[in-house]
Amino acid sequence: MININGLTFRYVGANADALTDINLRIPDGDFVGIIGPSGAGKTTLTRAINGLVPHHYKGDYYGEVLVDGKDTLKHTPDQLAVSVGSVFQDIESQLVSEIVEDEVLFGLENFSVSSGEIESQMEWALNAAGIPGLRNREIRSLSGGQKQKVAIASIIALRPKIIVLDEPTGELDPLASRRIFETLRELNTQFGVTVVVVEQKIMLLCEFARRLAVLSSVGLAIEGSVTDVLRHIDVLEATGVNIPRVATLAGLLRKKSLFFGEPPINVLGAKAMIENCLRGENTCLD
Amino acid sequence: MGGLLDYLPGESIIHRLNPLVKLILSFGLCVSCFLSDSIIFVLSVIVINILLSMMARVFARTLLVFLSLIKFSTLLFIIQILCVRQGEILLNLPLGLYITDKGLMFSLLFISRLIAAAMPLSLTLSVTRVVDIANVLVSKLRLPYKYAFALTAAIRFIPLFSSEMAGIMEAQTARGVDFETKNFLKKIRLLLPLCAPLLISSVRKVEGSAISAELRGFNLRGGSSGYKQYPFKAVDYSALCLCAALVVVSVML
Ligand SMILES: Nc1ncnc2c1ncn2[C@@H]1O[C@H](COP(=O)(O)OP(=O)(O)O)[C@@H](O)[C@H]1O
Ligand SMILES: [Mg+2]
Repeated sequence: MININGLTFRYVGANADALTDINLRIPDGDFVGIIGPSGAGKTTLTRAINGLVPHHYKGDYYGEVLVDGKDTLKHTPDQLAVSVGSVFQDIESQLVSEIVEDEVLFGLENFSVSSGEIESQMEWALNAAGIPGLRNREIRSLSGGQKQKVAIASIIALRPKIIVLDEPTGELDPLASRRIFETLRELNTQFGVTVVVVEQKIMLLCEFARRLAVLSSVGLAIEGSVTDVLRHIDVLEATGVNIPRVATLAGLLRKKSLFFGEPPINVLGAKAMIENCLRGENTCLD
Repeated sequence: MGGLLDYLPGESIIHRLNPLVKLILSFGLCVSCFLSDSIIFVLSVIVINILLSMMARVFARTLLVFLSLIKFSTLLFIIQILCVRQGEILLNLPLGLYITDKGLMFSLLFISRLIAAAMPLSLTLSVTRVVDIANVLVSKLRLPYKYAFALTAAIRFIPLFSSEMAGIMEAQTARGVDFETKNFLKKIRLLLPLCAPLLISSVRKVEGSAISAELRGFNLRGGSSGYKQYPFKAVDYSALCLCAALVVVSVML
């Protein structure tokens, strides 16, 4: 569980707050997508969850963040790392080894996992990340998507309850991006890992996440289930995020009192919505 | 350029030797060249190097290394041979320079030592993964893990930096900068301004790496948490014996 209460943070030397009065509760087992325009503080929020803010990135810090019951002010990032694993935006720089196996071993050895357990955790992590066959490969010979999965495997090998990812598909093509999200879904549903992911590809996010949190430059704009958030087209427009076109369409249809159902999250859903409207069946779920 | 020290995967007996043994072996080869004053001995060490590289099936690489060492040593050889003024004159040259028999012998020995001592280093790195060297230094020689990690991280970053540099140069080429110029000074002038962006993006990458390592418990690491074990096998002991024998012979010759 992540509990963020009244968090305001300003980096040293910055003249504006990176995060303003954020209140957010993420229960265990949730799959939360974080969206927002560039500079809204998405990366800073992930840093506040893994403790890099304020331990590594200093600044003015107000409020409280509890991760798995631990106050991030009173615990160092490596103490928090047992509860929350982090995957960063830059795929290349977060990998420290030449061989996939060594990359996964790195954290396991550091946390002094006994050699009996290391083998099983390594196998589990490679399987859960969907790359059991890559164990002995050289990392530099892998594709971007495979590297990202190696990063994920090396994090989940430590069995954190929560995994936080900052734009994990930023450098990937659509198919590889989808594979990453399938991996995250697997982790979430099969192994109960809480997933918090910052993502620009909103359509993709809406398909996989259960809830969305929308950050704007003045704070948390809206937060709730994916369909709830997509209903608030006006709020989304005000923050300046890319709104999925199907959601915009649903908003328009609703304004014209043609459609009242759940906003669709993909093209198939949009097709069904339009067909319903044409047939004049107003799906009234409200 | 580059790549002469990269690891070449393989399953040969040399590859499978204990990394520490390979280090000791290459050190032994280096030392023995300097202990012996016999040029025949030093030349045989070069031959041993070549034989070892054939056993490891990396002969092509060794040949490249050997040729570039020869190129480099030729220059040293010429300087060396002109500087030694003792002994009987074999050949008089203009400008008051001359070549003596002592000078010839000394310079030959000097460059063959240089070549014989440099080859094992390249061979060892060709047949051993850096991470294995680092691991064995930590587990067998009690090198603090941080230093071993710094070693592997530095080596890992080299290709990253060069691809970064290639990226920056590509971007500049797209804007019409011509890096293909033959003029060395001009090339330097074009490359110099790229140092700042390269440095900044490199520092950012290193910082990202450091953070990612910290979040995976880098600072918690104790001395004895290595998972991979590197036991000595019979073949390792035999290799060590051969190495010791070679050093003994070098002292006697
Ligand atoms: N290390 C830092 N030092 C100072 N200011 C920073 C730092 N990182 C981010 N910021 C600032 O904090 C704000 C939020 O940044 P960030 O969290 O990276 O946003 P996002 O990830 O949503 O694009 C931005 O105004 C940015 O300039
Ligand atoms: Mg960001």
